[in-house]
Amino acid sequence: MVEWVEVRGKSIEVAVAAAMNELGVTERSDVDVEVVQEPEKGFLGLGGRDAIVRVKPRVRRGRGRDRRPRTGASRTGGSRPEGRSRDAASRSGGQRGSNAPRSQGRSGGNSRSGAPRTRSPEAANRAERPPVDVNPAEQAPVVEQFLRGLVESFGLEGSVRVEIEDDVIIATVEGEQTEALVGVRGSVLDAVHEITKTTLHRQFKDTARVRLDIAGYAERRRQALSIYAGQLIEQVMSEGGEIMLEPMSAADRKVIHDSVAAVDGVRSYSEGEPPRRYVVISQVEDQAGEEGDDEGDDEV
Amino acid sequence: MAKGEIVKRVLDYVVGQIVDDPNAVEVTIIEQGPEDVIAEVRTGPGDMGRVIGRRGRTARSIRTVAQAAADEEGITASVEFED
Repeated sequence: MVEWVEVRGKSIEVAVAAAMNELGVTERSDVDVEVVQEPEKGFLGLGGRDAIVRVKPRVRRGRGRDRRPRTGASRTGGSRPEGRSRDAASRSGGQRGSNAPRSQGRSGGNSRSGAPRTRSPEAANRAERPPVDVNPAEQAPVVEQFLRGLVESFGLEGSVRVEIEDDVIIATVEGEQTEALVGVRGSVLDAVHEITKTTLHRQFKDTARVRLDIAGYAERRRQALSIYAGQLIEQVMSEGGEIMLEPMSAADRKVIHDSVAAVDGVRSYSEGEPPRRYVVISQVEDQAGEEGDDEGDDEV
Repeated sequence: MAKGEIVKRVLDYVVGQIVDDPNAVEVTIIEQGPEDVIAEVRTGPGDMGRVIGRRGRTARSIRTVAQAAADEEGITASVEFED
């Protein structure tokens, strides 16, 4: 029953916590952690990389070394010292003590037979819900009111504006003092965004998408991204080949695509599935050829 | 200004906006050191799940926002969710 999971996170700590959650283990001392990749800080969240850890429940004594995945594992049930964490995991799958393959209960929850999977803890809530009965006009004032109250509870001077564009609620918090709500690399902004969505969920079953900018951070980030893209474009032009960027949001990818599209001799495209979708910048052999990209203008 | 006042005000507000029963939200500030507080958050029955969120996602965001509030006072704040 060696099941291990590979999890990606902003820090080792975050990734391990998510992995333990995944495994149904509550004690840090009950798992073995292997750091696959140390996290690195980037500039404005660019050029950095996530931590990747491989976590498995610690096996203590008992059934010895035979830790082949799946086969026969469930037979030995309760007498095993490691039964505790196993039970915790089984319970959530509703498969306790049976020979049936586990990991059916929680959708995509437990890993099968130790197969590695990399997943982002942030990914969980990201699934797009179909926009049924979503009324952004009804939800926008809730967003506005929440943000106003937040700025006020901080004792900051600032203004809040909401607009609706293509069914997306665009909320803008402005004012010098609201910089306090941005945080290092937008960490506080992301947290405020998350909480804003949570407050919407309390009142509406289906919620509109919300875009949030505070103190012009998103705009500055766009500029920083363009500069970053410019450096990478130069590198590709001088060294040839391709450069694979770190995963980014659709909005960020679009900035990169647009920067690349403006330069002859390079092209860009996206690969991978959200939220791990990333841009690749590559040299165009035929200099006269298309300098654009495959998706810069519409889908990113 | 009492230490942790902004932290408390922000937590009262944010948690109150997330739960079904804002009146049951209780935030207690405990001074740990000259520049360090713990904020204990309690909610009415059934509301804590929402405050924690899936995979602790909301709790993490609340902690980040609470620290941003603490930064305004030049202190650090850790948040404990008491069930």
